[in-house]
Amino acid sequence: MAVKKDYKDQTLAERLRDRKYYVPDSNPEFVKEVEKIGQTPAHMCFQCGTCTGSCPSAPRSTYRIRLFMRKINLGLEEEILTDPDLWLCTTCYSCTDRCPRDLAPTDAIMAMRNLAARRDIVPRNFLKTAQAIYASGHGVPNNDANRAARVKLGLDAEPDTTHKYPEYLEGIRKIMDHYGLKERADKILAEEG
Amino acid sequence: MAEVKKYEEPRIGVFVCHCGTNIAGSIDIKAVMEYASTLPNVVIADDYQYMCSTPGQNKIGEAIEEQKLTGVVVAACSPRLHEPTFRAATKEGGLNPFRFEMANIREQNSWVHMHQPEEATDKAKDAVRIAVAKASLLEDLIPKSVPVERAAMVVGGGVGGMQAALDLASAGIKTYLVEKEPSIGGKMSQLDKTFPTLDCSQCILTPKMVDVYRHENIELLTYTEVEAVEGYIGNFDVTLRKKARGVMTPDEATERGIIGGGCNGCGDCEDVCPVIRPNPFELGMSPMKAIYIYHAQVSPLIYTIDFDSCVKCGLCVDVCGDKKAIELDAQDTFETVKVGTIVLATGYDIFPVEEKHEWGYKNYDNVITSLEFERLICASGPTGGHLIRPSDGATPKKVGFVLCAGSRDNTGVGKPYCSRFCCMYSLKHAHQIIEKIPGAVPYIFYMDIRSFGKMYEEFYYRIQDEGAKFIRGRVANIQEDPVTKNLHINTEDTLLGRPIDVEVDMVVLAAAVQPAAETEATRRLFGVSCSQDGWLLEAHPKLNPCGTTTAGVYLAGVCQGPKDIPDTVAQAEGAASAASIPIHRGEVELEPYFAVCIEDICAGCGMCINLCPYQALALVEKDGRTVMQVTEAKCKGCGTCGGFCPGGAIRMQHFTTPQIVAQIDAFLLGGEQ
Ligand SMILES: Cc1cc2nc3c(=O)[nH]c(=O)nc-3n(C[C@H](O)[C@H](O)[C@H](O)COP(=O)(O)OP(=O)(O)OC[C@H]3O[C@@H](n4cnc5c(N)ncnc54)[C@H](O)[C@@H]3O)c2cc1C
Ligand code: SF4
Ligand code: SF4
Repeated sequence: MAVKKDYKDQTLAERLRDRKYYVPDSNPEFVKEVEKIGQTPAHMCFQCGTCTGSCPSAPRSTYRIRLFMRKINLGLEEEILTDPDLWLCTTCYSCTDRCPRDLAPTDAIMAMRNLAARRDIVPRNFLKTAQAIYASGHGVPNNDANRAARVKLGLDAEPDTTHKYPEYLEGIRKIMDHYGLKERADKILAEEG
Repeated sequence: MAEVKKYEEPRIGVFVCHCGTNIAGSIDIKAVMEYASTLPNVVIADDYQYMCSTPGQNKIGEAIEEQKLTGVVVAACSPRLHEPTFRAATKEGGLNPFRFEMANIREQNSWVHMHQPEEATDKAKDAVRIAVAKASLLEDLIPKSVPVERAAMVVGGGVGGMQAALDLASAGIKTYLVEKEPSIGGKMSQLDKTFPTLDCSQCILTPKMVDVYRHENIELLTYTEVEAVEGYIGNFDVTLRKKARGVMTPDEATERGIIGGGCNGCGDCEDVCPVIRPNPFELGMSPMKAIYIYHAQVSPLIYTIDFDSCVKCGLCVDVCGDKKAIELDAQDTFETVKVGTIVLATGYDIFPVEEKHEWGYKNYDNVITSLEFERLICASGPTGGHLIRPSDGATPKKVGFVLCAGSRDNTGVGKPYCSRFCCMYSLKHAHQIIEKIPGAVPYIFYMDIRSFGKMYEEFYYRIQDEGAKFIRGRVANIQEDPVTKNLHINTEDTLLGRPIDVEVDMVVLAAAVQPAAETEATRRLFGVSCSQDGWLLEAHPKLNPCGTTTAGVYLAGVCQGPKDIPDTVAQAEGAASAASIPIHRGEVELEPYFAVCIEDICAGCGMCINLCPYQALALVEKDGRTVMQVTEAKCKGCGTCGGFCPGGAIRMQHFTTPQIVAQIDAFLLGGEQ
């Protein structure tokens, strides 16, 4: 039986790993899946960089939307779905406004977050947000400082949302239950401990 | 004829040009102007932002009028650029145009001494002083008009040459179309489809080839090369070598009294010929006989014998029978024709990409060039249009296209320029395999996609949408799997920042192009310059892209630099139009720089006669004396005779000994004459 060659020191092994990518190992169907969910022809990206240049997250993080677009077309599914940067898009849609090939990179990112979520790969803060929405109808619920500010501006203390009309919370929960979002969030957070 | 005026005292006007900041940025214009006004004979010194503009030119005219000038000096750019402009302005002002002298203070001064303003200003003063010295001695000269032969020649019968010939011929000019191969058509006849419209290359080319063949004003000379060229614009004598074809046309047969004979293209000879050799039209990918035509659409449809491989067995002669078309002992023949103007359209060759060892062409079976791809994907090609792997005949599914294969390469092995059409034809090739081979994936390795033409970017968009994979990175090397004969393409995906290895079934190299092999010899015959990379040099890259610095010789197509079919045809039409102008005018003016014999001094020794490289001189009897005589139209003003004549009896007009001596004195004596 062939013995698998390896370095004793695993950090060294990781550093010396062959990082060439081999097209046969990637998933050529991935781009199609992303396009189906995101409803944007991601295969038409010509890598101009307008998106990363427009992105408010890019200068403050390692998130590079252009790079994600490239990886989609190379079918680097594993790499994308396990990349924490996938979650650094603010969904501001600046890239989508400016893409010269008229793509919606934001929607491609959302599509890939969906695919990641199917594998239970979602960061804690997103899961907590899901729980918060389930509880209050808000990702960022109202608080006292906010209420005071609203009153000062002549607005009602509570906005016209589930805060003012708690009876609609049921509806929101129904939608979330339909997609099993809260359940999934609870499960993953419980596993993480 | 304009009259020759005599002036008592020289009165010179000097005009210094700023050329925006091109000159004024490093030269002190005011200082040069003030200096000029102190020079002997100078009666006015002036300056202007742009002397070549209308107000600038008007200054010259006004000064000639008001100051009664006898000579004009403009200190500005190179005479190559604006001497004609200022000569015209001088003439407009009422002086003989040859009473103008230019001092180059831009190309030879401000541009090269950008950071030495003081020295540059001193040098400009020198240049002006020298020009004034010459201008003081300039004389009226009358250009000579010579008649222009009402015929033109086009060298090279690719799509560019064909278009130029058709335009000239349709303008009523007798046109000789000279092609070294047995058929016209050039590279375009080897292509399958053409981007971005994807129309079939042969289908759009063949009708043009027929038009050329049928045109009453075109004399088609295939299998013919230029042997020698003499003369000048309007009167070129071109000697042609008609290579021994071994097969007579019906006309040639009739001339020899073989009525109803000559080649009718039946091809019986080809069937019996026992010699088999590689077919150059199919780039060696299919066999061919010693007696051959390249393909069914050749024009003219006449067989040719390759005498290098012919064994002279005579089987073809027998089978040709009464047509008596074949002559196994044919020899090259020569013919000299007279033409007024010439268009060169000698096209290009593919760079020998095997010289880039890292891509394994001619070493790995499944690495081919794009031109080979054209033949393999073409229905009339060696495989009937089925793209196959040379190693095993299998249909490739994954095909790598390597762009800039030898282009944009400064290693010395390769070409520094962009070959311009390879991006576009590789996109076309990607489309063709997607269309023809179900499930095929093209991988395009590129540095930039240059889709510059009308509807080209749209074509790129379309091919990407059809599923072509683009990998931005120049291919570093290719390795063959010795068992499967598959190929591993190695490069960096520069957009990902990672090395990659893509395994494909076949690689197509978009090889660079270079001037056709005979271009160097041909251009020397016509006295045309070439640029550093060997492409023929246009007179001006922007303002005169079809002309050359040799009057009467024009350029069309890729011989001037890589360009696709639309650009080739456009330039060919431009060149044909330019070449027809002197013919339609019927006469051209020659610059009056010829040698003149001062007969009173000439001793008739005749020693100059054999020195003249242009056979322009002869001894004649005049008033009982033997004197030398110049055929002005033949004289190029080179000065060989003038410099030699022991008695000083030869005057070089516009470059007379006193004029040159005055210039040297002005320089050496620093103006202290
Ligand atoms: C693989 C490939 C695919 C291409 N696909 C396209 C396409 O899809 N669309 C497009 O627009 N362009 C395409 N091109 C470019 C196209 O081939 C050229 O633009 C075109 O052929 C240029 O024509 P030409 O007349 O200048 O030169 P050529 O076609 O090279 O013709 C020159 C002619 O002159 C003859 N000749 C050379 N020297 C002499 C001499 N000294 N004396 C007499 N005759 C001489 C030659 O035998 C030849 O017949 C492609 C090129 C390649 C390599
Ligand atoms: S802006 Fe559009 S085309 Fe440009 S890199 Fe981003 S997604 Fe691609
Ligand atoms: S046309 Fe494209 S492939 Fe050809 S040399 Fe230029 S950039 Fe390279």
